[in-house]
Amino acid sequence: MQLVAQIVLNGVLLGGFYACMALGFSIVWGVMNVVNLAYGSMIMIGAYVTQMAVLQLGLPFAAALPLAALATFTMGYVLQRALLNRLAERSVFMTLIFTFGLNMALINLNLILFSADVRSLPDVFGRASFTIAGLSVPYGRATIFAVAMAMTLGLHALLNWTPLGNAIKATSFDPDAARLSGIDVPHVYALTFAIGGAIAGVTGALVATSYSFSPVAGESYTMKAFVVVVLGGLGSIPGAIIGGMLLGIVENLASLFLDSGYRDAVGFTLLLLVLVLRPRGLMGRRFFAEVKG
Amino acid sequence: MLSVRGLSAGYGGMMAIRSLDLDVKAGEWLALLGPVGAGKSTLLGVLAGLVPARQGEICLDGEDIRFLPPHRRLRLGVALVPEGRRLFSGMTVRENLMAGTHALADPAIRRRNLDRVCELFPVLAERTRQIAGTLSGGEQQMCAIGRALMASPRLLIIDEVTLGLAPLVVKSLFTALVGLHEQGITLLTAEQNVPLALAHADRGCVLSGGAIVMEGPAKVLRDDPDLPRHFVGY
Repeated sequence: MQLVAQIVLNGVLLGGFYACMALGFSIVWGVMNVVNLAYGSMIMIGAYVTQMAVLQLGLPFAAALPLAALATFTMGYVLQRALLNRLAERSVFMTLIFTFGLNMALINLNLILFSADVRSLPDVFGRASFTIAGLSVPYGRATIFAVAMAMTLGLHALLNWTPLGNAIKATSFDPDAARLSGIDVPHVYALTFAIGGAIAGVTGALVATSYSFSPVAGESYTMKAFVVVVLGGLGSIPGAIIGGMLLGIVENLASLFLDSGYRDAVGFTLLLLVLVLRPRGLMGRRFFAEVKG
Repeated sequence: MLSVRGLSAGYGGMMAIRSLDLDVKAGEWLALLGPVGAGKSTLLGVLAGLVPARQGEICLDGEDIRFLPPHRRLRLGVALVPEGRRLFSGMTVRENLMAGTHALADPAIRRRNLDRVCELFPVLAERTRQIAGTLSGGEQQMCAIGRALMASPRLLIIDEVTLGLAPLVVKSLFTALVGLHEQGITLLTAEQNVPLALAHADRGCVLSGGAIVMEGPAKVLRDDPDLPRHFVGY
């Protein structure tokens, strides 16, 4: 029983991280109908920026994290403004092919800049842990969970309580009506992609603290983000939290009963089940792609 | 105020508007009439910047606005309430109204406009937290007009204000429009209900086959024996 509780706790901590990661993917998909296949590569860029800031510039992690977010935010804005806006409101297949190509370009850029070596950023939080009700919580995991939850709440606040959030939501419901309401839609699209990018950057910084990463490692994060968004439902913050927690818990439980090599397979099995039983996800609205083709 | 010369616009190979001239004078209420398919919605979409013009010029107070995107035209005072209302259906009434203020820089004016819209449509004031998609048709139309008014427009363009609404609701909406007209807002309304439009507007013009075929003071047009001809077959 104690073991199961510990595993569920580990799953919840991991799930918080998954939820935050998926939001950057979800907001871009929900608002612009763009499935960003380069999302994992943007996470990797965040991880590389963090590692360079810590190891080469000697910055503390707390300063490296916003730097990573700023880098991917800027990258997201420029990419959307210069390239993706030309495809906005077109068929989902056009943007899918674009982000597929973008992913290739970013992977190769990372290979040139950082080589194919697997890297990690050791000992940012140390190996210590604290205990709650007999369950052990490593400080590192707890910090990742706290940062992820802070990002999630921050995004919720941004979307619901600021003029920018109002513009983003309005644009996601009806781009033409948003134009008529005085919203600069191409700018909102670029900012939305930039916010998605900033979340990827923060995710990358968190990845750097506790996982090894390499230019090609991004794809598994794109896949996990996809699973969480489909589980929870598109365009829903509570959905992303529930989807993330579910995936985190199921992955951890599976590694208890199965070989840990089955970890990803379990996530995808869950995805298939939800797609068959409840195609709109657990919380969200129907998929844009279904409607717009 | 608004002067359109030689305007052409359309979709793909089809021209919905053909070298059209139109003037809207400051302070007037111009009713745009015409059968279904005459090009009324296209014309209004072109004026607001949603549909690109192929040819011609659109001048607002002498300045060519043809190549400005909708949000820049709104900043200059041109607002369109689109056909079918196009509210942000999953957002609250208040969020919909506040979405209309992105063209304004001053938060004090945003609050003042919100108060004015709530005064004009008290039913919206009672329902600020309701999801816009759950409002009745008339309330949705009020919310759509309110959203356009939030940007302090000088020229308010409304496409089919009465479409699908009950007579009583239509009456109260027109009362509100008369009030706006008296406040000095210039109105351009496309309307299927010809007698109703000509009873309130200063001037009318009839659009048919993408061109203006008749225009004149509302009182004169109302009694013109030629008027019905343009609505029967085309």
